[in-house]
Amino acid sequence: MSIFAKIMQNYPYFVAIVLFCIGIYTTLSQTSLMKKIIGINIISNAIFLLLIAAANIRGGTSPIMHGDHIPKGLLFVNPLPAALVLTGIVVSLSVTAFALSIVIRMYEYYGTIESNEILEIRSWE
Amino acid sequence: MFAFLEMHPPALVIFVLMGAFIMPTISHFKRSLCGPASCVFMAVALACSFHFALIAEGGATISYAAGGWLAPWGIEVVIDSFSAFILVVISFISLLILFYSTTSLQTEVAHNAIGWYYTIFLLLVAAMMGMATTHDLFNMYVFIEVTGISACALVLAKNTKMATDAAFKYLLLATVGSGFVLFGIALLYLITGNLNITFVAEEFSKVYTQYPFLIWTVLSFFLVGFGIKSALFPLHLWLPDAHSSAPTTSSAILSGLVVKAYIVALIKFYYLIFGFDLLNQIYIRHLILVMAASAILFGSMFAFAQLDIKRRLAYSSVAQIGYIFLGIGLGGATGMAAGILHIFNHAVMKACLFLAAGAIYYQTGKKQVNKLQGLGYEMPITIGAFSIAALSMIGLPLFSGFISKWYLAQGSIEAGMPLFVGLIILSGLLNASYFLPIIWQAFFDVDQHKPKTFTLDAIPFSMASTLVILALTVIYFGLNPHFPLSLAQQAAKIFLP
Repeated sequence: MSIFAKIMQNYPYFVAIVLFCIGIYTTLSQTSLMKKIIGINIISNAIFLLLIAAANIRGGTSPIMHGDHIPKGLLFVNPLPAALVLTGIVVSLSVTAFALSIVIRMYEYYGTIESNEILEIRSWE
Repeated sequence: MFAFLEMHPPALVIFVLMGAFIMPTISHFKRSLCGPASCVFMAVALACSFHFALIAEGGATISYAAGGWLAPWGIEVVIDSFSAFILVVISFISLLILFYSTTSLQTEVAHNAIGWYYTIFLLLVAAMMGMATTHDLFNMYVFIEVTGISACALVLAKNTKMATDAAFKYLLLATVGSGFVLFGIALLYLITGNLNITFVAEEFSKVYTQYPFLIWTVLSFFLVGFGIKSALFPLHLWLPDAHSSAPTTSSAILSGLVVKAYIVALIKFYYLIFGFDLLNQIYIRHLILVMAASAILFGSMFAFAQLDIKRRLAYSSVAQIGYIFLGIGLGGATGMAAGILHIFNHAVMKACLFLAAGAIYYQTGKKQVNKLQGLGYEMPITIGAFSIAALSMIGLPLFSGFISKWYLAQGSIEAGMPLFVGLIILSGLLNASYFLPIIWQAFFDVDQHKPKTFTLDAIPFSMASTLVILALTVIYFGLNPHFPLSLAQQAAKIFLP
């Protein structure tokens, strides 16, 4: 099987890795502090996508038991990564909220949220 | 109380967490009571950790299934000699820093923020204790994030432009770091299907030959992620700003404990899951050694160039973290024990140095290293404690820094890399070059017309006594290192079966 066909078959993993790289690049290269925070969110979403894609089974149903016996041939989706991602979303939310509050503070100090302008203002002082 | 604690070890973490969230209530009624109350909480936590350490020194291990769910499904908490050692270090150092903060904090943090400051401080301590004890990958990630956010908040507490900038930089890089760590954890989960460290290790040893590239990815992601958070040399960019602009007590705990909590997590991941042989085969260990060596050299050189006393200490932390990573990378029983022992020794020394720098600023308002002429006569206790910790940093015998350097040198000979002995001696010289001028100035570069008489420091009792206790600890464990050393050697045995 060629590498291209492998990527096509497992495209969610591929998308997750591309998104992760985009997130890292955005966080480190953008000058606007808001865009940096968006970059952080892209990083964490990429990882959540990876976990959820790994848990999914094509044609699987949600893992809820009705009665004692399981019908033959019924596939269940792995529920554990969903719990992990839920926790991860809460963590990512609180980091974002905290980062935004720091950005508000920095806007009060400098009147701008562009990191290169902030550097310029600091070099005058 | 101890019987209950042996049955339910996570109660220690929950106790400190409870302390954290009681602080705002206490501050609502009487603000000056927050400091002493948090000291009481930490003192109880220290007693509990010490109890664990005594159990662990006897060779026993406590394992606990949270919520009654057994290991592969539930979260497992394990207290072995390694985590007990880290627990004692964390609670001992933070108790002393909290005691110091009862009088120093009013000058550095806004009056109405003091209660919240203690909340964040205890939250940070609880999260680090959780990192030391948990045996579950995802639980570790949650504690890593709690540590990261509260550490940033401790920097931000000073509320100056410098501190805000530094906190934002710290938060961004720490989040990128934890992104790498979570990606590594997710990949490990994909190939092994478990989150408990023991079960991951078991499954991993069966399947790892099928995923040669994925193992590279996971190992390097962990190294980059934890490297950013623990400021391993080329990834240390956030550390000098954050540690020098924070309030004194925050700098002491950030430099003394927080960066090491991540090293603790890294040691657990690397040595419990992958094992020394794999790290050696695919050259990750050599990468750690190279990064540690460059951290030791360049950290000291950068420190030499700094004039601000706290910045100089922050860069010196970068160098000292190199020693711990050197011990991890050497991998032999002696080198590993030396690295783990240095976690304790460096925490005591660096907390002492930062708190002394804070005391100097408290009394004289001086921040520059070249303006301390004759200060040794004005504040003998502070400069005395500073000198003892600095001499221990250099690695003179009779001080605790010597013990870890001695065992590191032995470990590098054992591992067949005698070159690192030369590096350790060279870095001792570099340390001397930036610490001795401060001590020399303070005691010997004195105005000839002034009378050479000692006058006692004009600092509050809690600050002075903390400095004295830390300095005595440095000397005591330099003369009699038996207890921490035996715990560290037992801890090294866990990782090198």
